Amino acid sequence: MDLLLILFGKLLSMVIRFLNVGSGSTWPGHVALSINKNFIKELVKASPQLKIILIAGTNGKTTTGKLIQTILERNGEKVFQNESGANLLNGIASSLLLRSSILSTINYDYAIFEVDENTLPLILKEISPDYLILLNLFRDQLDRYGEVNTIASKWRDTIHHLLPKTKLILNADDPQIAFLGKFRGVLSSTPSRWNNIDTSVFYFGLDDKTLHQTSRQHAVDSTYCPHCSSKLYYKIVYYSHLGDWECKKCGNKRPKNIFSNPPPSQLSGTYNRYNVLAAILATKKIGVSNEIIKKSLKTFTPAFGRQEILNVDGKKVQIFLSKNPTSFNESLRTIKSLGAKNVLFVLNDRIPDGRDVSWIWDVDTEEYIKKFNSVVVSGDRACDMGLRIKYSSEFSISNFQFSMKISNFKFQIEGDLKKAIALGLKEVPKSETLYILPTYSAMLEVRKFITGKKIL
Amino acid sequence: MKNIKHNLVIGWLYPELMSTYGDRGNIICLQKRCEWRGINVEVKRLDVGFPYEQLATCHLLFMGGAQDNQQKIVSHDFSKEKAKELKKMVEDGIPGLYICGAYQFLGRYYKEADGTIIKGLGILDLYTENPGENHERLIGNIVVNARSMLHVARRESSTSHALPATTHLVGFENHGGCTYLGKDVKPLGKVIKGFGNNGTDGAEGAVYKNSFGSYLHGPILPKNPVLADLLIKLALEKKYDSPINLSPLDDSLEIKAQNTIAKRLNIKI
Repeated sequence: MDLLLILFGKLLSMVIRFLNVGSGSTWPGHVALSINKNFIKELVKASPQLKIILIAGTNGKTTTGKLIQTILERNGEKVFQNESGANLLNGIASSLLLRSSILSTINYDYAIFEVDENTLPLILKEISPDYLILLNLFRDQLDRYGEVNTIASKWRDTIHHLLPKTKLILNADDPQIAFLGKFRGVLSSTPSRWNNIDTSVFYFGLDDKTLHQTSRQHAVDSTYCPHCSSKLYYKIVYYSHLGDWECKKCGNKRPKNIFSNPPPSQLSGTYNRYNVLAAILATKKIGVSNEIIKKSLKTFTPAFGRQEILNVDGKKVQIFLSKNPTSFNESLRTIKSLGAKNVLFVLNDRIPDGRDVSWIWDVDTEEYIKKFNSVVVSGDRACDMGLRIKYSSEFSISNFQFSMKISNFKFQIEGDLKKAIALGLKEVPKSETLYILPTYSAMLEVRKFITGKKIL
Repeated sequence: MKNIKHNLVIGWLYPELMSTYGDRGNIICLQKRCEWRGINVEVKRLDVGFPYEQLATCHLLFMGGAQDNQQKIVSHDFSKEKAKELKKMVEDGIPGLYICGAYQFLGRYYKEADGTIIKGLGILDLYTENPGENHERLIGNIVVNARSMLHVARRESSTSHALPATTHLVGFENHGGCTYLGKDVKPLGKVIKGFGNNGTDGAEGAVYKNSFGSYLHGPILPKNPVLADLLIKLALEKKYDSPINLSPLDDSLEIKAQNTIAKRLNIKI
């Protein structure tokens, strides 16, 4: 029966691609699961040699996944991943289906699946991964999930039931994530048992005083102890709620024995150091040599939309996916450190972006606007983003125009994305860079216009 | 009164705990709209453990929404004195805006899905019920006709003005709780599109004296400057005990932002 589903699924995928109605990255799986709800379980069982790595977290899944794939492939392994964005059950099912042979076997060594926050408990009922990487939990798409705390507690229940074979790779700097390590097996919420070493839980985190942020960003979650709800004390803050944390009331604190010092990589931004650490820790545990890891990092090219550089008419465009307050803040911080002068913000409110755009007011735009010479805003909700900029400006923009120039600062609102990209590029001197900060669906559109190819 | 520089103190209740859905945009909006008119603004952050006496030093109050855990912490912090002081000030006419969780908290009680009753501050005559997981949350873009309430409030504030071009409120709601108004409060407006307080009676928000409660995120004030200016005006008039005319600002971008949503919902505002 699964064989039929596989054949049908492959056919369906080909048809969808041929008709160019999308990538076909979730339909085959969707159909397969509705006919056979054990589809994923059965497919995985039929390929016992396949090792599975799951990556979950609000920000960083795609970059971390690509890093791991790069390293493993350089090590001679055959690896596949689900398509970025296709990270619900149907996307994972599709991914397995499309890589299956006619004999229902998957002839690969490793599968890497990036998993949506809410889907993680569901997928763990179908798959017992060899590695589970948990990166972070930030506010994201509030209209879909409501609350960070709710997701964290669902994850806690799930972790508790993991099989011993699953190695946990956790971000020690995120209090909610680090706390999950304590829910493995028998270890639970009894403080006296917290120093027991669980041989299947590994932590990564930063250890660099120079990265300490003195002013706290506004959109900060998890600043309360996940165990006793008291306010957490931070010796160092790296960004948002990530740092060297401690609860002075109940003794819950950042774990010791953290993997900390990554070799250099091509990626900018403090947030990317975490992705690199997670990928290195995972591949080290798999057994890849330091040399191969170092070589892979040197040659790593970013995933689409994540610091990807594109060339347009002798000028550069660098895209920083900015889909929630934390990733937007970090994008701004990173581009500022790169000397950005010309930016384009694109705000959509489609399903993948989150329909409620209130979150843009949790972004600390005030800090960065004054550094830019030209800001263009676009997208379905260009006017909302325009308002955010209007209220961020240190100029007294009470008589606001849709296109205005005050001393050296130029600001334009253009709802048509193609026109907006052109406007943004016009402001950029030759061989310099236009930095684009889009939400997810906007990022796909930007790429489509610039490269002329549809990607998802 | 023309040449006197006005000052205003905005009391922001629990900015760290109750600031989940971009609610600080409301504070930013109030601040900037005052600054652009030459009104001096101080924002007082009233966090966990703040002395209740601080409330009385404020001329305008704001409190936003929160996750459940954070809301519990706030509940514990709201001592008898704080509750009494806030109730006195509301009765006395202090202008205030209370969004989502705060809106519910100011009511009489919140009834959870399993029947547990959580007492509210009892300042606004309303209560909220959570119908349980089998009911869908009330989520989506919402347009409210607030003409009558804004009009009434403005009339009571003793200056008569022609009403601005739009008194519709546009925002985004996201709540599981259904709120029902008692007889002592009026709705903020009538739902044109969306759910509103409970999805059945067509009302959104609540107004009592100069206190405004609503479920609208967006956040509510940046896209709805009429309400922002009303709050500023009421606060200044109460403080200076005389009629205040705010100089008009260019709200064309705000109106365009409202229309982006209205057009999508096929509504003319």
